[in-house]
Amino acid sequence: MAGRFFSQLGQTLLISWGIITLLFLLTRTLPNEQDLLARFASSSVPLAASAQQLQVAQAQARHRLGLDIPLFYLTQADVSEAPLAPRWRWTGTQNQYHRWLSKLLQGDTGQSYRTGEPVGELLRGSLYHTVSLTLLSAALLAGLSLPLGIWLAVSGRRLALATLFALDTLPLFVVALLLLLFLASPDMLALFPAYGLGTDAVSFRSAPINYLSYLVLPVASLVLTGITAPAVQLAGALQVEIKKEYVLAARAKGLSAAEALRRHALRNALLPSITLLTDLLPNLLAGSLVVELIFALPGFGRLLAEAAAARDFPVLLAGVGLVVVVRQISLWLAEALYLLADPRLRNRPA
Amino acid sequence: MTSTGLRTKRNWSWHLSLGWLLLLAAAALLADLFSLPTGPDLLRSNAAPLTPGHLLGTDSQGQDVLRGMLYGARTALLVSIPTTLLASALGTALGVAAGYWGNTRLRIPKHWLGSVAVALIFYIFFAAPANSVLAGWWPWCTAGGGLLLSVALSRFSQWRTTVALPVDSLVSAAIVFLAALPRLLLVVLVATAVTPSVTTLVLLLTLTFWVPTARLIRAEVRRIRWLPYLEAAVALGLPAHQILLRHVLPNCWHVVRTAVPLSLAILISLETTLSFLGVGLPPELPSWGRLLAAGRIAPSCWWLIVFPTIALLLTALSLRRLVAAPEPHSRVLQAP
Repeated sequence: MAGRFFSQLGQTLLISWGIITLLFLLTRTLPNEQDLLARFASSSVPLAASAQQLQVAQAQARHRLGLDIPLFYLTQADVSEAPLAPRWRWTGTQNQYHRWLSKLLQGDTGQSYRTGEPVGELLRGSLYHTVSLTLLSAALLAGLSLPLGIWLAVSGRRLALATLFALDTLPLFVVALLLLLFLASPDMLALFPAYGLGTDAVSFRSAPINYLSYLVLPVASLVLTGITAPAVQLAGALQVEIKKEYVLAARAKGLSAAEALRRHALRNALLPSITLLTDLLPNLLAGSLVVELIFALPGFGRLLAEAAAARDFPVLLAGVGLVVVVRQISLWLAEALYLLADPRLRNRPA
Repeated sequence: MTSTGLRTKRNWSWHLSLGWLLLLAAAALLADLFSLPTGPDLLRSNAAPLTPGHLLGTDSQGQDVLRGMLYGARTALLVSIPTTLLASALGTALGVAAGYWGNTRLRIPKHWLGSVAVALIFYIFFAAPANSVLAGWWPWCTAGGGLLLSVALSRFSQWRTTVALPVDSLVSAAIVFLAALPRLLLVVLVATAVTPSVTTLVLLLTLTFWVPTARLIRAEVRRIRWLPYLEAAVALGLPAHQILLRHVLPNCWHVVRTAVPLSLAILISLETTLSFLGVGLPPELPSWGRLLAAGRIAPSCWWLIVFPTIALLLTALSLRRLVAAPEPHSRVLQAP
């Protein structure tokens, strides 16, 4: 058990490090440094500046952002005349990647290129809304897919299934737009507020009902698009389990059909659903990107999308790193849940 | 999916689905033949459907919605069809390799492996002297050197022994690596960083989209691998490429055939999502996602939301209908 635990942990760390490093190199080596510098130079330099002043300002901006040192341990060497000249030059530890990673390990995620605020605070502020959005959706998805799956398995309604599949085929943003069109537009039913979080700083503590009313449509769109997969999967697993002999034995023992299903078949049918659980949180985080843009919620997804559009790499990398870590933790949790739920797996060689 | 999933019943809904898809393809191909208003009609912006000259109305810029729908169909197919084909090909190749050879059965002679490694290291770490004749031919020089080295090494018996290449582990590692980020997030992040164009988007989607096909094919080939007819083919001494092309591939073809329409549907919805977010495709390219984005800004113009939604829904359901059985609760639920 302990060996499996540590190998899993090592794998988690390795994958997270690999992805973050890859994204770091991929986003920094693209030729867009000039736009970045232009933006910074324009804010601090008077309009009628000479070319030389602009250059000085750009050099200062590069130094402030730490872009004046090499990117990675190796840089491309200059073209030389010597036969078999090395293509790469070793630059030592004074490089952007080393500096960024060592700061990250000390818990310092740097500052946003756009606003100059510390990235950690930006992420914390945005996560406040996103965590309530995703946790509410996750709880609703888990709570609703269970009875829905049982109902589908027992009754097998064609119409309900067709509706579920139609919801599943539509992209998330279309469902969100349809909800906006029908439930929050002045022409139809204006039941819910359409955009944002209302007037300044509505928080859960000060006005819970008001705060929740702003979350109804975003949560509804996440739940509606996400519910088909777990419900249909559970229904399929239940249909397989119901036909097995142990259910027949339970019925022969005198249990009613509903009770045999609930107390015997359901446990076995729930096992494959653990796999879906691992995808749930990361997928909801990705979905929050779309939903927060549509409903103008100041959350994590919107922060990431805006950071990507503005090439604000410190924010982008920290956000992506967070998603990767959440994903790895949920994978790891699922493994533990499997071992808890199914004793047969514990003795199997890894 | 076993062979029961193969035969879809061809009743009226199957024909309807096929008809809609053909209509979509025709709209995408023949969009230039209709004489539709091209520029913005500034006199009639936000016009409702059935306005003279604009059958499906216009958006807030006065652009014709029907034109956006037709050219949007073209964009959707232009992105999704090449991506599906490329991703299926890549996924099939990797899945077959991982499933057939596993971790131990692809054995490569040491002299071959060693010379490739030396040539690669040479190419990556050293440059030819600039301004010399060699500069343009450097890749060919290193490749030729590697070939010579391999011939030379093969004379020694200890270099002629073989080592196993862990294909299965390599493919699985790539899958785990790609699965570490949700696909939508990954595509959005990379697509914002590169210059938007159809080619880069197709390449990016291909590189992230081969995973499901590879998984399915790998599982299927691992099943086929130990069937008697394949053992017979191996025992006959057929070369690997002949076994793969004539015995393995035809038997996992049905997996690809069911996976292609489904991934086409997913890619079309991904393309509209990206266009809706304004990511990955040049802004002047019309798309259903852009119509929907215009509808978000003007929520009272229902026609901007309803028509693209209907088109998306019909397309996705038709593609699904082509592979799924007509009674969803009996057959789809039984699929593992």
